[in-house]
Amino acid sequence: MSGGMKFVEEFRDAALGKVVAGEILAAVDPHRHYKLMEVCGGHTHSIYRYGIDDLLPENVELVHGPGCPVCVIPMGRVDDGIAIARNEEVIFTCFGDMLRVPGSERSLLEAKAEGADVRMVYSPLDALRTAKANPDREVVFFAIGFETTAPSTALTMMRARAEGVTNFSCMCNHVTIVPPLRALLDSPDLRLDGFIGPGHVSTVVGARPFEFIPADYGKPVVISGFEPLDVLQTVLMIINQLDEGRCEVENQYTRVVPYEGNLRALEVMAQVFELRPHFEWRGLGFISQSALKLSDSYAEFDAELRYSVPGVRVADPKACQCGEVLKGVIKPWECKVFGTACTPEHAIGTCMVSPEGACAAYYNYGRFASEKAVV
Amino acid sequence: MDGLAPRCDHTEGCITCGDEAIAMEVLAVDAERGLALCAKAEDSSARSTVETALVEPVAAGERLLVHAGTAIARAA
Repeated sequence: MSGGMKFVEEFRDAALGKVVAGEILAAVDPHRHYKLMEVCGGHTHSIYRYGIDDLLPENVELVHGPGCPVCVIPMGRVDDGIAIARNEEVIFTCFGDMLRVPGSERSLLEAKAEGADVRMVYSPLDALRTAKANPDREVVFFAIGFETTAPSTALTMMRARAEGVTNFSCMCNHVTIVPPLRALLDSPDLRLDGFIGPGHVSTVVGARPFEFIPADYGKPVVISGFEPLDVLQTVLMIINQLDEGRCEVENQYTRVVPYEGNLRALEVMAQVFELRPHFEWRGLGFISQSALKLSDSYAEFDAELRYSVPGVRVADPKACQCGEVLKGVIKPWECKVFGTACTPEHAIGTCMVSPEGACAAYYNYGRFASEKAVV
Repeated sequence: MDGLAPRCDHTEGCITCGDEAIAMEVLAVDAERGLALCAKAEDSSARSTVETALVEPVAAGERLLVHAGTAIARAA
């Protein structure tokens, strides 16, 4: 096995994990409650997968933020995608998780069962390859993701232009991380002490965009890796800041994240995308300048300009409390339909669809623990 | 697909939509096309062609952080 395996294993070492957990226990003020939000769905997944919650003292609570791009996609956008997919000449490509996200009447997977040519891809480049392999068809890529994924879409659009691929277009649903964080911080029912910052978004945007959180809202941010030891060390760093009365952006994930981010990635994003004036987030409503569309210079590749889409706003199902889950106001199992009407197999809310979603992650890894805790 | 097993299921995280990148090792470089053949660090049998424009120049043996088919950073 390569040296890489060892590299990862070091950050999953159970004995070291217990040492850091002990340091956290020694550092916390027993009279204080610490409520920390992990912004990124990848962290949510890691916390449940490795039972990191169980290693923390009772007065350290982790809540799950809006950082799963699939979970924040509103139903109206799924409907728009299905409308495009139903065009006979279209091969509609998207990432696997998107297939199962419910629209107002059906998911993309159901639209596929009804005859639409919907195909799963692993990257935007795969979608472009599909276009090149099917010159008599129109291939549309449903782009989704935060700044981690947006550069990949941007490079693919640039490649499509450079290679003269004209039967390819993009329905852009890329979102940006800072505006929803600001919206969350402005929300009156939110009580948070600090943030576990998104590790891989930060490889692209860097640490600087998060400086407003300590500066304007007085809350620490520590950008974190995804292995169990990364998350534990990050929790310790946030608690140390709180106990020492410090409040700043720190970078636990220095082995990957440069403070300035990836300037080349930011450059290609700026060339291909521009900010939408507003975009709807599931459970959070419309947030200004929180999403990307193709810029005017790439308008010829914009699927929303090539095809007519309903563009109708669809209200979230009444029973679904994804909004409160995304804001960390309630835990997944406190939702009225969690594990009963809403399961990964038959999801009502998007948080149950994606494995990065707080509800699905909890359902898969923490269900029985939660039942014990609730009793 | 060139070797990366589907990961969009409920026991493993989704490699594409989850916004979590994975570490990969460069096996061979196609500098002209801005691509590299990479193997997943944790499972060298899982291979994939990766866009390298954002981290160039790259060389065989280097470790990259890859997301949605694009290297977004070097993994130390």
